[in-house]
Amino acid sequence: MTKPVLALQHITKQFGHGHTAVKALTDANFEVAPGQFVAIIGPSGSGKSTFLTIAAGLQTPTNGQVLLNGTELATQSEKARLAYRFNEIGFILQSSNLIPFLTVTEQLKLVDKMAKRPFQKDKAKTLLAELALSEVVDAYPNELSGGERQRVAIVRALYNDPSVILADEPTASLDTPRSIDVVERLAKEAHQHQKAIVMVTHDQRLIGNCDVVYRIEDGVMTRQ
Amino acid sequence: MYLGLKEMRHEKLRYTLLSGVLLLIALVVFMLAGLANGLSNGNRQAVDTWQAQTVYLNKNANQTLSASQLKLADKSKLTGNQVAPLATLAGTLRTTSNSKKTTTNALATSRNSFLMPKIVSGHAINGKNQILISAGLKAKGYKIGQKVRLGTTTKTVKIVGTYATNTYMISPTVYTDIATLNRLKGAPITSGKQQTINGFVTKKSQFKTSHHGDLEKISINTFINKLPGYSAEQLTLNTMIYFLFVIALAIIGIFMFVLTLQKQPLFGVLKVQGIGTKHILAALLTQSVAMALIGIVLGLGITVGLAQLMPAGMPFVINWSQYGLYSLALLIAAVLGALLSWRTVANIDPAVAIG
Ligand SMILES: Nc1ncnc2c1ncn2[C@@H]1O[C@H](COP(=O)(O)OP(=O)(O)OP(=O)(O)O)[C@@H](O)[C@H]1O
Ligand SMILES: [Mg+2]
Repeated sequence: MTKPVLALQHITKQFGHGHTAVKALTDANFEVAPGQFVAIIGPSGSGKSTFLTIAAGLQTPTNGQVLLNGTELATQSEKARLAYRFNEIGFILQSSNLIPFLTVTEQLKLVDKMAKRPFQKDKAKTLLAELALSEVVDAYPNELSGGERQRVAIVRALYNDPSVILADEPTASLDTPRSIDVVERLAKEAHQHQKAIVMVTHDQRLIGNCDVVYRIEDGVMTRQ
Repeated sequence: MYLGLKEMRHEKLRYTLLSGVLLLIALVVFMLAGLANGLSNGNRQAVDTWQAQTVYLNKNANQTLSASQLKLADKSKLTGNQVAPLATLAGTLRTTSNSKKTTTNALATSRNSFLMPKIVSGHAINGKNQILISAGLKAKGYKIGQKVRLGTTTKTVKIVGTYATNTYMISPTVYTDIATLNRLKGAPITSGKQQTINGFVTKKSQFKTSHHGDLEKISINTFINKLPGYSAEQLTLNTMIYFLFVIALAIIGIFMFVLTLQKQPLFGVLKVQGIGTKHILAALLTQSVAMALIGIVLGLGITVGLAQLMPAGMPFVINWSQYGLYSLALLIAAVLGALLSWRTVANIDPAVAIG
């Protein structure tokens, strides 16, 4: 098997202290390799989002290690984690991923501005075409359908060539056919472009395309 | 920069309104500054044209020219070149038929003194009972060769020359010689060294000895600040201007803060994507500076336009270097206002965007 690009080892996350303490994650172990499409499935409140925020460096775990390409992340400074998120992680949120006052093209231009490089026109064109968005390149997010918005979020996540894409319930606001469409596209991106993609969902029907499935129940993570 | 400007373009109404508020503040600042300058100039223009350094007054006059009484002979207590006697009379200039009346400030000095204004038309004073009038009075219809009365006496004097626009304590000036002025005042002595005057104005001078009787030496700046009402007027207007800077800062600060609170989820999303506090703050700064610039530029334009429309009697003077300074102060207020949201932006937790 190829080396994992992202690995979380013995992760525990506890909120609060004493008898009010909530253990959102208990000794979670996880890894994903390039070209893998991984699903994390579990009921509401089981710790899925907590897991993703720790993987993205948005929160530090109480115990355990986050290794990105073998480098420990949890001990790094806030600034280093910000750069890590920008360069290595593509995040797709449940909703409101996009910046309301930027057009689809401008969402991508912003990524280039932040990276201080010229707009990668051809790359944008290819990615947008791949996700069937060529018709809406100049539309603002509020002019797009929910499915289009999620696909733009996927393009935006892929555009910066991150090592890992983390998607938190990317299909939550979509109906089943559109959900299946979005998930199929994610699977295709993972396999075609050798991306590591991690998707959180609570919908059993969407995990057919996934290479690996993890299940979380009350903060305990098991690989299926 | 990119984020900030794109947002302004998309949210035109919101940012236009805020720019409008800043425009109004800038406009009031520039108008008040223009009026303060106008009033200042109206008060001191005559003094400024002297280009003098020092004034000698009676030490009991509280540094006020009209309250000071000296004699021409007191000049012997001073050394230096260009020591000019000065006497004043605030009085009404009127035609002999009383058809025209104008409040003026008459200033008198010796005929060949450096205080005498540069003649524009007519000739300098070369005989008894002659006066020179400033351009403002000429514009009112007073003419060379005309016989006029000045003050409350029935004695007449003749206008022999005119000079550039010149005011002292807001009224247009008239220049004459010491003897003529004393005659108009109805003073008991109207010739020779024992005539009364109000003070001496000099370029470079000092007391001959340490025994200088009732004379007091003051700088020209002190003299100007002691013009009746001058300091109070300038202080009032300038205080209003300084308050406006604080108000501009508060308005930008509050607006930007409210907008920041509103946009917390968006900023959370940006942080999730690795776009940090630095970039978000840069966007806020871009916006407030852009709005301030729009307000300042339009404010300047409107001020210049209004200055053209103002009635001639309104004291209004545009001083560009001062406007530059005040524009800078407004810009700084905008920058500080935006920076007030710094903590809020820094404290936004990207985890909230994930929910
Ligand atoms: N900041 C926090 N402070 C305290 N408790 C928290 C915090 N964040 C999460 N929790 C708790 O941790 C547990 C896991 O939360 P998490 O958001 O990871 O669930 P989830 O699996 O994403 O649920 P959902 O499917 O509803 O989004 C919950 O019991 C939650 O109340
Ligand atoms: Mg969740």
